[in-house]
Amino acid sequence: MNETVSLPLKITVGIILALVVAPLIVPVLMSISDTPYIVFPPQGFTLKWYGEVLANPEARGSFLFSLELAAIVTAVSLLLGIPCAAGLTRYRVPGQDAVLGLILSPLIVPLIVTGVALLQVFALMGWRATLMQLVIGHTVVCLPYVIRSVSASLLLVNRSLEDAAAVLGAPPHVVATRVIWPQVRPGILAGGTFCFIVSFDDYPVSMWLADGNHFPVPLYLYTIIERSFDPSIAAIASLMIFFALLLVLVIEKVFGLSLARLAS
Amino acid sequence: MSHSESIDLPERAPARMVERGADPKPGAFARRAAQAWEQATGTRMAGYLLVAPAVLFLAVWFVWPVLTMVHLSLTSRVVEGVSVEGFTLENYVRLFSSDLYFRILLRTVRIALLTSLFAALFAYPLAIAIARGGPTLARLVTITILAPLLVNVVVRSYGWQTILNKTGALAWALKMFGISNPPVLLYTEWAVLIACVHVYLPFMVMPIAGAIGRIDRSVEEAARVAGATRLAVLTRVILPLSLPGLAVGASLVFSLSAAAYVTPQILGGNFSPLLGTLIEQQMLTLNDWPFGAAISTLLIALVLASNLIFLKLVGRRFARWTAGAR
Repeated sequence: MNETVSLPLKITVGIILALVVAPLIVPVLMSISDTPYIVFPPQGFTLKWYGEVLANPEARGSFLFSLELAAIVTAVSLLLGIPCAAGLTRYRVPGQDAVLGLILSPLIVPLIVTGVALLQVFALMGWRATLMQLVIGHTVVCLPYVIRSVSASLLLVNRSLEDAAAVLGAPPHVVATRVIWPQVRPGILAGGTFCFIVSFDDYPVSMWLADGNHFPVPLYLYTIIERSFDPSIAAIASLMIFFALLLVLVIEKVFGLSLARLAS
Repeated sequence: MSHSESIDLPERAPARMVERGADPKPGAFARRAAQAWEQATGTRMAGYLLVAPAVLFLAVWFVWPVLTMVHLSLTSRVVEGVSVEGFTLENYVRLFSSDLYFRILLRTVRIALLTSLFAALFAYPLAIAIARGGPTLARLVTITILAPLLVNVVVRSYGWQTILNKTGALAWALKMFGISNPPVLLYTEWAVLIACVHVYLPFMVMPIAGAIGRIDRSVEEAARVAGATRLAVLTRVILPLSLPGLAVGASLVFSLSAAAYVTPQILGGNFSPLLGTLIEQQMLTLNDWPFGAAISTLLIALVLASNLIFLKLVGRRFARWTAGAR
Protein backbone atom coordinates (compact mmCIF):
# COMPACT_ATOMS: atom_id res chain seq x y z
CA MET A 1 0.00 0.00 0.00
CA ASN A 2 1.48 3.24 -1.08
CA GLU A 3 -0.96 5.98 -0.40
CA THR A 4 1.46 8.86 -0.21
CA VAL A 5 2.82 8.36 -3.72
CA SER A 6 -0.32 8.88 -5.77
CA LEU A 7 -0.57 8.94 -9.56
CA PRO A 8 -0.62 12.78 -9.84
CA LEU A 9 2.52 12.87 -7.72
CA LYS A 10 4.19 10.28 -9.96
CA ILE A 11 3.33 12.36 -13.03
CA THR A 12 4.72 15.50 -11.38
CA VAL A 13 7.91 13.64 -10.47
CA GLY A 14 8.19 12.40 -14.06
CA ILE A 15 7.90 15.92 -15.47
CA ILE A 16 10.48 17.32 -13.04
CA LEU A 17 12.92 14.49 -13.79
CA ALA A 18 12.47 15.17 -17.52
CA LEU A 19 13.37 18.82 -16.88
CA VAL A 20 16.39 17.70 -14.85
CA VAL A 21 17.82 15.54 -17.65
CA ALA A 22 16.79 17.81 -20.56
CA PRO A 23 19.85 20.10 -20.41
CA LEU A 24 22.04 17.00 -20.46
CA ILE A 25 20.32 15.41 -23.46
CA VAL A 26 19.90 18.43 -25.74
CA PRO A 27 23.68 19.05 -26.12
CA VAL A 28 24.16 15.38 -27.04
CA LEU A 29 21.47 15.68 -29.74
CA MET A 30 23.03 18.86 -31.08
CA SER A 31 26.52 17.40 -31.20
CA ILE A 32 25.61 15.07 -34.09
CA SER A 33 24.16 17.84 -36.26
CA ASP A 34 25.82 18.07 -39.68
CA THR A 35 25.66 21.87 -39.80
CA PRO A 36 28.38 24.47 -39.21
CA TYR A 37 26.21 26.10 -36.52
CA ILE A 38 24.17 24.87 -33.56
CA VAL A 39 20.54 24.14 -34.33
CA PHE A 40 17.64 22.27 -32.79
CA PRO A 41 16.42 19.81 -33.94
CA PRO A 42 19.75 18.54 -35.32
CA GLN A 43 20.02 18.13 -39.09
CA GLY A 44 21.74 15.13 -40.60
CA PHE A 45 24.15 12.94 -38.73
CA THR A 46 27.90 13.20 -38.28
CA LEU A 47 30.52 12.31 -35.73
CA LYS A 48 33.10 14.71 -37.18
CA TRP A 49 32.73 17.15 -34.26
CA TYR A 50 33.82 14.43 -31.87
CA GLY A 51 36.81 13.71 -34.10
CA GLU A 52 37.68 17.38 -34.11
CA VAL A 53 37.51 17.64 -30.32
CA LEU A 54 39.51 14.47 -29.72
CA ALA A 55 42.19 15.62 -32.14
CA ASN A 56 42.44 19.02 -30.46
CA PRO A 57 45.68 19.16 -28.43
CA GLU A 58 44.36 21.97 -26.20
CA ALA A 59 41.32 19.94 -25.15
CA ARG A 60 43.44 16.85 -24.53
CA GLY A 61 46.03 18.83 -22.59
CA SER A 62 43.41 20.39 -20.31
CA PHE A 63 41.79 17.04 -19.68
CA LEU A 64 45.08 15.39 -18.75
CA PHE A 65 46.10 18.32 -16.58
CA SER A 66 42.79 18.17 -14.68
CA LEU A 67 43.23 14.43 -14.09
CA GLU A 68 46.76 15.02 -12.80
CA LEU A 69 45.68 17.89 -10.56
CA ALA A 70 42.73 15.93 -9.13
CA ALA A 71 44.99 12.93 -8.45
CA ILE A 72 47.56 15.05 -6.57
CA VAL A 73 44.83 16.87 -4.62
CA THR A 74 43.21 13.56 -3.65
CA ALA A 75 46.53 12.14 -2.46
CA VAL A 76 47.37 15.26 -0.40
CA SER A 77 43.86 15.46 1.07
CA LEU A 78 43.91 11.80 2.12
CA LEU A 79 47.41 12.18 3.56
CA LEU A 80 46.30 15.14 5.71
CA GLY A 81 42.72 14.01 6.27
CA ILE A 82 43.01 10.39 7.42
CA PRO A 83 45.35 11.10 10.38
CA CYS A 84 43.23 14.10 11.33
CA ALA A 85 40.04 12.04 11.31
CA ALA A 86 41.77 9.36 13.37
CA GLY A 87 43.00 11.95 15.89
CA LEU A 88 39.54 13.50 16.17
CA THR A 89 37.63 10.26 16.65
CA ARG A 90 40.08 8.12 18.64
CA TYR A 91 41.75 10.63 20.97
CA ARG A 92 40.46 13.36 23.17
CA VAL A 93 41.99 16.43 21.64
CA PRO A 94 41.45 19.50 23.87
CA GLY A 95 39.51 22.18 22.00
CA GLN A 96 37.95 19.55 19.79
CA ASP A 97 34.94 21.73 18.92
CA ALA A 98 37.17 24.59 17.81
CA VAL A 99 39.24 22.19 15.68
CA LEU A 100 36.08 20.80 14.12
CA GLY A 101 34.77 24.29 13.41
CA LEU A 102 38.05 25.23 11.73
CA ILE A 103 38.04 22.08 9.61
CA LEU A 104 34.49 22.54 8.40
CA SER A 105 34.71 26.31 7.85
CA PRO A 106 35.89 26.07 4.20
CA LEU A 107 32.49 24.50 3.45
CA ILE A 108 30.71 27.68 4.53
CA VAL A 109 32.83 30.36 2.85
CA PRO A 110 31.93 30.71 -0.86
CA LEU A 111 34.51 29.02 -3.10
CA ILE A 112 34.99 32.12 -5.20
CA VAL A 113 36.01 34.00 -2.02
CA THR A 114 38.38 31.21 -0.90
CA GLY A 115 40.06 31.44 -4.30
CA VAL A 116 40.41 35.20 -4.35
CA ALA A 117 41.70 35.28 -0.77
CA LEU A 118 44.40 32.75 -1.70
CA LEU A 119 45.34 34.71 -4.81
CA GLN A 120 45.76 37.76 -2.61
CA VAL A 121 48.17 36.13 -0.16
CA PHE A 122 50.11 34.45 -2.98
CA ALA A 123 50.53 37.86 -4.61
CA LEU A 124 51.49 39.36 -1.26
CA MET A 125 54.16 36.68 -0.81
CA GLY A 126 55.36 37.25 -4.36
CA TRP A 127 55.18 33.48 -4.83
CA ARG A 128 54.67 32.07 -8.31
CA ALA A 129 54.19 28.32 -8.57
CA THR A 130 50.90 27.68 -10.33
CA LEU A 131 50.64 23.92 -9.88
CA MET A 132 51.46 24.10 -6.16
CA GLN A 133 49.00 26.96 -5.69
CA LEU A 134 46.21 25.09 -7.50
CA VAL A 135 46.92 22.02 -5.34
CA ILE A 136 46.75 24.17 -2.18
CA GLY A 137 43.52 25.87 -3.26
CA HIS A 138 41.79 22.62 -4.19
CA THR A 139 43.01 20.86 -1.04
CA VAL A 140 41.52 23.60 1.16
CA VAL A 141 38.18 22.89 -0.51
CA CYS A 142 38.45 19.07 -0.52
CA LEU A 143 39.99 18.41 2.91
CA PRO A 144 36.78 19.00 4.92
CA TYR A 145 34.90 16.42 2.82
CA VAL A 146 37.63 13.82 3.32
CA ILE A 147 37.82 14.40 7.08
CA ARG A 148 34.04 14.29 7.42
CA SER A 149 33.69 11.10 5.43
CA VAL A 150 36.58 9.26 7.12
CA SER A 151 35.53 10.42 10.62
CA ALA A 152 32.00 9.14 10.01
CA SER A 153 33.29 5.69 9.10
CA LEU A 154 35.78 5.66 12.01
CA LEU A 155 32.98 6.45 14.45
CA LEU A 156 31.07 3.43 13.14
CA VAL A 157 33.98 1.05 13.77
CA ASN A 158 32.93 -1.63 16.22
CA ARG A 159 35.44 -1.37 19.07
CA SER A 160 34.61 -4.77 20.52
CA LEU A 161 35.91 -6.41 17.32
CA GLU A 162 39.27 -4.78 18.02
CA ASP A 163 39.18 -6.01 21.58
CA ALA A 164 38.31 -9.47 20.36
CA ALA A 165 41.20 -9.51 17.89
CA ALA A 166 43.62 -8.23 20.55
CA VAL A 167 42.40 -10.80 23.03
CA LEU A 168 42.91 -13.55 20.50
CA GLY A 169 46.51 -12.46 20.13
CA ALA A 170 46.58 -10.08 17.17
CA PRO A 171 49.32 -7.44 17.44
CA PRO A 172 48.21 -3.80 16.83
CA HIS A 173 49.37 -3.68 13.19
CA VAL A 174 47.30 -6.75 12.40
CA VAL A 175 44.32 -5.20 14.19
CA ALA A 176 44.81 -2.09 12.08
CA THR A 177 45.06 -3.86 8.73
CA ARG A 178 42.64 -6.74 9.22
CA VAL A 179 40.05 -5.32 11.61
CA ILE A 180 39.98 -1.52 11.35
CA TRP A 181 40.90 -1.09 7.66
CA PRO A 182 38.04 -3.18 6.21
CA GLN A 183 35.60 -1.14 8.28
CA VAL A 184 36.90 2.31 7.29
CA ARG A 185 37.71 1.44 3.67
CA PRO A 186 34.28 2.56 2.32
CA GLY A 187 34.61 5.92 4.10
CA ILE A 188 38.10 6.53 2.74
CA LEU A 189 37.03 5.45 -0.74
CA ALA A 190 33.97 7.72 -0.62
CA GLY A 191 36.01 10.66 0.69
CA GLY A 192 38.71 10.16 -1.92
CA THR A 193 36.24 9.79 -4.78
CA PHE A 194 34.33 12.88 -3.76
CA CYS A 195 37.58 14.79 -3.39
CA PHE A 196 38.64 13.76 -6.91
CA ILE A 197 35.32 14.86 -8.40
CA VAL A 198 35.28 18.20 -6.56
CA SER A 199 38.81 18.97 -7.71
CA PHE A 200 38.19 17.81 -11.30
CA ASP A 201 35.05 19.95 -11.59
CA ASP A 202 36.24 23.01 -9.72
CA TYR A 203 35.83 26.35 -11.45
CA PRO A 204 35.58 29.11 -8.80
CA VAL A 205 38.96 28.40 -7.16
CA SER A 206 40.85 27.57 -10.35
CA MET A 207 39.67 30.75 -12.09
CA TRP A 208 41.92 32.80 -9.81
CA LEU A 209 44.95 30.53 -9.63
CA ALA A 210 45.34 28.92 -13.09
CA ASP A 211 47.50 30.18 -15.93
CA GLY A 212 47.88 29.31 -19.62
CA ASN A 213 50.17 26.35 -18.96
CA HIS A 214 48.03 24.98 -16.15
CA PHE A 215 44.53 25.19 -17.54
CA PRO A 216 41.94 22.83 -15.99
CA VAL A 217 39.05 21.45 -18.11
CA PRO A 218 36.26 23.60 -16.60
CA LEU A 219 38.13 26.79 -17.51
CA TYR A 220 38.85 25.43 -20.99
CA LEU A 221 35.18 24.58 -21.50
CA TYR A 222 34.16 28.04 -20.42
CA THR A 223 36.52 29.75 -22.88
CA ILE A 224 35.34 27.70 -25.85
CA ILE A 225 31.69 28.34 -24.97
CA GLU A 226 32.53 32.03 -25.07
CA ARG A 227 34.36 32.01 -28.36
CA SER A 228 33.10 29.31 -30.73
CA PHE A 229 29.69 28.59 -32.18
CA ASP A 230 29.88 25.29 -34.08
CA PRO A 231 28.62 21.94 -32.73
CA SER A 232 32.11 21.03 -31.51
CA ILE A 233 31.20 22.71 -28.17
CA ALA A 234 28.16 20.44 -27.99
CA ALA A 235 30.48 17.51 -28.74
CA ILE A 236 32.89 18.36 -25.93
CA ALA A 237 29.95 18.97 -23.56
CA SER A 238 28.59 15.55 -24.56
CA LEU A 239 31.97 13.95 -23.87
CA MET A 240 31.92 15.47 -20.37
CA ILE A 241 28.39 14.10 -19.87
CA PHE A 242 29.49 10.61 -21.00
CA PHE A 243 32.48 10.91 -18.66
CA ALA A 244 30.12 11.68 -15.75
CA LEU A 245 27.95 8.67 -16.64
CA LEU A 246 31.07 6.51 -16.65
CA LEU A 247 31.92 7.91 -13.21
CA VAL A 248 28.45 7.00 -11.92
CA LEU A 249 28.99 3.44 -13.14
CA VAL A 250 32.47 3.20 -11.62
CA ILE A 251 31.26 4.59 -8.28
CA GLU A 252 28.21 2.34 -8.05
CA LYS A 253 29.51 -0.88 -9.62
CA VAL A 254 33.29 -0.93 -9.13
CA PHE A 255 33.60 0.89 -5.80
CA GLY A 256 30.24 -0.36 -4.54
CA LEU A 257 29.38 3.07 -3.13
CA SER A 258 25.95 4.59 -3.50
CA LEU A 259 25.70 8.06 -4.98
CA ALA A 260 23.38 9.07 -2.15
CA ARG A 261 26.06 8.26 0.41
CA LEU A 262 28.66 10.22 -1.55
CA ALA A 263 26.52 13.32 -1.65
CA SER A 264 25.44 13.31 1.97
CA MET B 1 56.56 -4.81 23.60
CA SER B 2 53.59 -3.05 25.05
CA HIS B 3 51.01 -5.19 23.33
CA SER B 4 52.27 -8.35 25.07
CA GLU B 5 49.72 -7.92 27.84
CA SER B 6 46.86 -8.22 25.40
CA ILE B 7 48.32 -11.35 23.88
CA ASP B 8 48.82 -13.55 26.95
CA LEU B 9 45.19 -13.60 28.02
CA PRO B 10 43.41 -16.28 26.04
CA GLU B 11 41.91 -17.87 29.17
CA ARG B 12 39.91 -14.73 29.92
CA ALA B 13 38.32 -14.54 26.52
CA PRO B 14 35.19 -16.52 27.46
CA ALA B 15 34.66 -14.23 30.43
CA ARG B 16 34.67 -11.29 28.04
CA MET B 17 32.09 -12.99 25.87
CA VAL B 18 29.80 -13.46 28.82
CA GLU B 19 30.33 -9.93 29.90
CA ARG B 20 29.47 -8.67 26.43
CA GLY B 21 26.21 -10.52 26.45
CA ALA B 22 25.24 -9.08 29.80
CA ASP B 23 26.64 -5.58 29.64
CA PRO B 24 27.18 -3.64 26.41
CA LYS B 25 29.50 -1.12 28.07
CA PRO B 26 33.19 -1.56 27.26
CA GLY B 27 34.73 -3.42 30.15
CA ALA B 28 38.18 -3.85 31.57
CA PHE B 29 39.51 -5.41 28.41
CA ALA B 30 38.60 -2.45 26.28
CA ARG B 31 40.36 -0.17 28.74
CA ARG B 32 43.47 -2.33 28.78
CA ALA B 33 43.51 -2.53 25.01
CA ALA B 34 43.15 1.27 24.86
CA GLN B 35 46.04 1.63 27.32
CA ALA B 36 48.19 -0.70 25.25
CA TRP B 37 47.30 1.25 22.11
CA GLU B 38 48.07 4.51 23.86
CA GLN B 39 51.47 3.25 25.00
CA ALA B 40 52.23 1.90 21.57
CA THR B 41 51.50 5.20 19.85
CA GLY B 42 52.96 7.41 22.54
CA THR B 43 50.36 8.83 24.98
CA ARG B 44 47.97 11.70 24.45
CA MET B 45 50.36 13.65 22.24
CA ALA B 46 49.44 11.26 19.46
CA GLY B 47 46.05 12.96 19.16
CA TYR B 48 47.67 16.35 18.70
CA LEU B 49 50.23 15.03 16.26
CA LEU B 50 47.58 13.38 14.11
CA VAL B 51 45.36 16.45 13.95
CA ALA B 52 48.12 19.04 13.64
CA PRO B 53 49.04 18.77 9.90
CA ALA B 54 45.49 19.32 8.66
CA VAL B 55 44.83 22.08 11.20
CA LEU B 56 48.05 23.89 10.33
CA PHE B 57 47.34 23.53 6.63
CA LEU B 58 43.90 25.12 6.98
CA ALA B 59 45.15 27.81 9.36
CA VAL B 60 47.84 28.91 6.91
CA TRP B 61 45.98 28.48 3.61
CA PHE B 62 42.44 29.28 4.63
CA VAL B 63 42.11 31.29 7.84
CA TRP B 64 45.09 33.52 7.20
CA PRO B 65 44.08 34.39 3.59
CA VAL B 66 40.48 35.16 4.55
CA LEU B 67 41.57 37.35 7.49
CA THR B 68 44.11 39.12 5.27
CA MET B 69 41.33 39.84 2.80
CA VAL B 70 38.96 41.24 5.43
CA HIS B 71 41.83 43.33 6.78
CA LEU B 72 42.64 44.71 3.34
CA SER B 73 39.01 45.73 2.78
CA LEU B 74 39.18 47.87 5.93
CA THR B 75 42.65 49.39 5.66
CA SER B 76 43.11 50.36 2.06
CA ARG B 77 41.22 52.00 -0.76
CA VAL B 78 41.98 52.84 -4.34
CA VAL B 79 41.55 56.47 -5.36
CA GLU B 80 42.03 57.10 -9.07
CA GLY B 81 44.24 54.08 -9.46
CA VAL B 82 46.45 54.82 -6.46
CA SER B 83 46.00 52.92 -3.23
CA VAL B 84 45.58 54.92 -0.02
CA GLU B 85 46.39 53.23 3.29
CA GLY B 86 44.66 53.72 6.63
CA PHE B 87 41.46 52.54 8.27
CA THR B 88 38.47 53.13 6.04
CA LEU B 89 34.88 52.04 5.53
CA GLU B 90 34.84 53.67 2.11
CA ASN B 91 34.83 50.32 0.26
CA TYR B 92 31.66 49.25 2.04
CA VAL B 93 29.98 52.65 1.74
CA ARG B 94 30.64 52.56 -1.99
CA LEU B 95 28.90 49.21 -2.32
CA PHE B 96 25.71 50.57 -0.76
CA SER B 97 25.77 54.14 -2.08
CA SER B 98 26.44 53.43 -5.74
CA ASP B 99 23.23 52.61 -7.56
CA LEU B 100 25.01 50.20 -9.95
CA TYR B 101 26.62 48.11 -7.18
CA PHE B 102 23.57 48.19 -4.95
CA ARG B 103 21.41 46.87 -7.79
CA ILE B 104 23.80 43.94 -8.24
CA LEU B 105 23.62 43.23 -4.51
CA LEU B 106 19.81 43.28 -4.59
CA ARG B 107 19.73 41.07 -7.67
CA THR B 108 22.03 38.56 -5.95
CA VAL B 109 19.78 38.34 -2.90
CA ARG B 110 16.66 38.18 -5.08
CA ILE B 111 18.00 35.37 -7.29
CA ALA B 112 19.28 33.43 -4.27
CA LEU B 113 15.88 33.71 -2.54
CA LEU B 114 13.88 32.81 -5.66
CA THR B 115 16.21 29.89 -6.40
CA SER B 116 15.62 28.55 -2.87
CA LEU B 117 11.87 29.01 -3.25
CA PHE B 118 11.56 27.29 -6.64
CA ALA B 119 14.03 24.58 -5.66
CA ALA B 120 11.86 23.84 -2.61
CA LEU B 121 8.71 23.66 -4.78
CA PHE B 122 10.35 21.16 -7.14
CA ALA B 123 12.09 19.32 -4.34
CA TYR B 124 9.03 18.29 -2.31
CA PRO B 125 7.44 15.92 -4.88
CA LEU B 126 10.88 14.37 -5.52
CA ALA B 127 11.67 14.05 -1.81
CA ILE B 128 8.30 12.41 -1.11
CA ALA B 129 8.93 9.96 -3.96
CA ILE B 130 12.37 9.12 -2.51
CA ALA B 131 11.20 8.78 1.10
CA ARG B 132 7.81 7.19 0.55
CA GLY B 133 7.94 5.54 -2.88
CA GLY B 134 8.87 1.93 -3.50
CA PRO B 135 12.55 0.98 -3.74
CA THR B 136 12.62 1.17 -7.55
CA LEU B 137 11.05 4.63 -7.70
CA ALA B 138 13.25 5.91 -4.85
CA ARG B 139 16.39 4.67 -6.55
CA LEU B 140 15.40 6.03 -9.95
CA VAL B 141 14.70 9.49 -8.53
CA THR B 142 17.85 9.54 -6.37
CA ILE B 143 20.15 8.59 -9.25
CA THR B 144 18.50 11.01 -11.69
CA ILE B 145 18.80 13.84 -9.19
CA LEU B 146 22.38 13.14 -8.09
CA ALA B 147 24.02 12.04 -11.35
CA PRO B 148 23.96 15.58 -12.84
CA LEU B 149 26.14 16.66 -9.90
CA LEU B 150 28.97 14.77 -11.58
CA VAL B 151 28.51 16.78 -14.77
CA ASN B 152 30.59 19.92 -14.71
CA VAL B 153 28.60 23.06 -13.87
CA VAL B 154 29.91 24.73 -17.04
CA VAL B 155 28.37 21.92 -19.10
CA ARG B 156 25.07 22.05 -17.21
CA SER B 157 24.83 25.79 -17.74
CA TYR B 158 25.73 25.32 -21.40
CA GLY B 159 22.92 22.74 -21.64
CA TRP B 160 20.44 25.46 -20.66
CA GLN B 161 21.98 27.79 -23.18
CA THR B 162 21.19 25.26 -25.94
CA ILE B 163 17.60 25.07 -24.69
CA LEU B 164 16.91 28.76 -24.10
CA ASN B 165 18.70 30.00 -27.22
CA LYS B 166 16.78 31.81 -29.98
CA THR B 167 17.19 28.67 -32.15
CA GLY B 168 17.16 26.38 -29.14
CA ALA B 169 15.03 23.46 -28.05
CA LEU B 170 12.48 25.56 -26.14
CA ALA B 171 11.79 27.87 -29.09
CA TRP B 172 11.38 24.79 -31.31
CA ALA B 173 9.02 23.12 -28.83
CA LEU B 174 6.91 26.27 -28.47
CA LYS B 175 6.71 26.56 -32.25
CA MET B 176 5.29 23.02 -32.34
CA PHE B 177 2.52 24.29 -30.08
CA GLY B 178 1.85 27.16 -32.45
CA ILE B 179 3.60 29.93 -30.55
CA SER B 180 5.58 31.47 -33.39
CA ASN B 181 7.23 34.36 -31.59
CA PRO B 182 8.38 33.00 -28.22
CA PRO B 183 10.18 35.27 -25.79
CA VAL B 184 13.96 34.76 -25.73
CA LEU B 185 14.96 33.95 -22.18
CA LEU B 186 18.70 33.65 -22.70
CA TYR B 187 20.71 36.49 -21.14
CA THR B 188 17.92 37.47 -18.76
CA GLU B 189 17.50 36.99 -15.03
CA TRP B 190 15.00 34.24 -15.81
CA ALA B 191 17.64 32.17 -17.54
CA VAL B 192 19.97 32.57 -14.55
CA LEU B 193 17.15 31.60 -12.19
CA ILE B 194 16.14 28.50 -14.21
CA ALA B 195 19.71 27.21 -14.43
CA CYS B 196 20.44 27.95 -10.75
CA VAL B 197 17.36 25.97 -9.68
CA HIS B 198 18.53 23.08 -11.87
CA VAL B 199 22.13 23.15 -10.66
CA TYR B 200 21.32 23.42 -6.93
CA LEU B 201 18.14 21.30 -6.80
CA PRO B 202 19.95 18.18 -5.41
CA PHE B 203 21.07 20.16 -2.34
CA MET B 204 17.40 20.84 -1.58
CA VAL B 205 16.03 17.37 -2.38
CA MET B 206 18.39 15.29 -0.26
CA PRO B 207 17.94 17.03 3.15
CA ILE B 208 14.14 17.18 2.66
CA ALA B 209 14.02 13.50 1.66
CA GLY B 210 16.05 12.72 4.78
CA ALA B 211 13.66 14.68 6.98
CA ILE B 212 10.55 13.07 5.45
CA GLY B 213 12.14 9.65 5.81
CA ARG B 214 12.47 10.26 9.56
CA ILE B 215 8.76 11.05 9.98
CA ASP B 216 6.97 8.12 11.59
CA ARG B 217 4.56 6.69 9.00
CA SER B 218 1.97 6.08 11.68
CA VAL B 219 1.58 9.86 12.09
CA GLU B 220 0.47 10.08 8.45
CA GLU B 221 -1.75 7.04 8.81
CA ALA B 222 -3.34 8.50 11.95
CA ALA B 223 -4.10 11.70 10.07
CA ARG B 224 -5.65 9.74 7.18
CA VAL B 225 -7.71 7.61 9.53
CA ALA B 226 -8.88 10.74 11.31
CA GLY B 227 -10.22 11.92 7.98
CA ALA B 228 -7.51 14.26 6.68
CA THR B 229 -7.40 14.66 2.90
CA ARG B 230 -4.16 14.00 1.03
CA LEU B 231 -3.57 17.72 0.81
CA ALA B 232 -4.10 18.15 4.54
CA VAL B 233 -1.62 15.34 5.28
CA LEU B 234 0.86 17.13 3.06
CA THR B 235 0.43 20.63 4.46
CA ARG B 236 -0.27 19.79 8.10
CA VAL B 237 1.85 16.69 8.70
CA ILE B 238 4.63 16.27 6.14
CA LEU B 239 5.42 19.95 5.60
CA PRO B 240 5.80 21.02 9.25
CA LEU B 241 7.63 17.85 10.26
CA SER B 242 10.09 18.17 7.36
CA LEU B 243 10.92 21.82 8.13
CA PRO B 244 14.42 21.04 9.51
CA GLY B 245 15.30 19.44 6.17
CA LEU B 246 13.84 22.40 4.31
CA ALA B 247 15.89 24.77 6.48
CA VAL B 248 19.11 22.91 5.74
CA GLY B 249 18.28 22.75 2.02
CA ALA B 250 17.30 26.41 1.85
CA SER B 251 20.46 27.61 3.58
CA LEU B 252 22.60 25.45 1.25
CA VAL B 253 20.83 26.58 -1.93
CA PHE B 254 20.79 30.23 -0.87
CA SER B 255 24.52 30.18 -0.04
CA LEU B 256 25.46 28.40 -3.25
CA SER B 257 23.36 30.53 -5.59
CA ALA B 258 24.34 33.81 -3.91
CA ALA B 259 27.98 32.93 -4.63
CA ALA B 260 27.36 31.47 -8.10
CA TYR B 261 29.71 32.69 -10.80
CA VAL B 262 29.69 30.32 -13.78
CA THR B 263 25.93 29.97 -14.23
CA PRO B 264 25.13 33.72 -14.17
CA GLN B 265 28.07 34.37 -16.52
CA ILE B 266 26.96 31.82 -19.12
CA LEU B 267 23.20 32.46 -18.96
CA GLY B 268 22.99 36.07 -17.86
CA GLY B 269 25.87 37.39 -19.92
CA ASN B 270 26.74 40.97 -19.09
CA PHE B 271 23.11 41.87 -18.56
CA SER B 272 22.51 40.42 -15.13
CA PRO B 273 25.77 40.05 -13.21
CA LEU B 274 25.74 38.87 -9.60
CA LEU B 275 28.21 39.65 -6.79
CA GLY B 276 30.60 36.93 -8.00
CA THR B 277 30.97 38.62 -11.38
CA LEU B 278 31.45 41.97 -9.65
CA ILE B 279 34.32 40.55 -7.56
CA GLU B 280 35.97 39.17 -10.69
CA GLN B 281 35.63 42.51 -12.54
CA GLN B 282 36.98 44.57 -9.65
CA MET B 283 39.91 42.24 -9.02
CA LEU B 284 41.05 41.21 -12.48
CA THR B 285 39.80 43.97 -14.79
CA LEU B 286 39.90 47.12 -12.63
CA ASN B 287 42.61 45.95 -10.22
CA ASP B 288 40.73 47.47 -7.29
CA TRP B 289 41.68 44.81 -4.73
CA PRO B 290 40.42 46.52 -1.57
CA PHE B 291 36.96 46.97 -3.13
CA GLY B 292 37.00 43.37 -4.39
CA ALA B 293 37.96 42.29 -0.86
CA ALA B 294 35.04 44.28 0.56
CA ILE B 295 32.54 42.61 -1.81
CA SER B 296 34.02 39.20 -0.91
CA THR B 297 33.65 39.98 2.80
CA LEU B 298 30.06 41.04 2.21
CA LEU B 299 29.41 37.76 0.38
CA ILE B 300 30.72 35.81 3.39
CA ALA B 301 28.48 37.90 5.67
CA LEU B 302 25.49 37.22 3.41
CA VAL B 303 26.09 33.47 3.51
CA LEU B 304 26.58 33.44 7.29
CA ALA B 305 23.44 35.52 7.78
CA SER B 306 21.40 33.16 5.60
CA ASN B 307 22.67 30.13 7.54
CA LEU B 308 21.78 31.84 10.80
CA ILE B 309 18.31 32.85 9.62
CA PHE B 310 17.37 29.56 7.98
CA LEU B 311 18.85 27.24 10.58
CA LYS B 312 18.29 29.13 13.83
CA LEU B 313 14.99 30.91 13.29
CA VAL B 314 13.31 28.14 11.32
CA GLY B 315 14.72 25.65 13.81
CA ARG B 316 13.13 27.47 16.73
CA ARG B 317 9.82 27.80 14.91
CA PHE B 318 9.97 24.10 14.13
CA ALA B 319 10.42 23.25 17.80
CA ARG B 320 7.17 25.10 18.56
CA TRP B 321 5.27 23.36 15.76
CA THR B 322 6.31 19.88 16.71
CA ALA B 323 5.58 20.57 20.37
CA GLY B 324 1.96 20.69 19.24
CA ALA B 325 2.30 17.62 17.06
CA ARG B 326 3.72 15.41 19.79
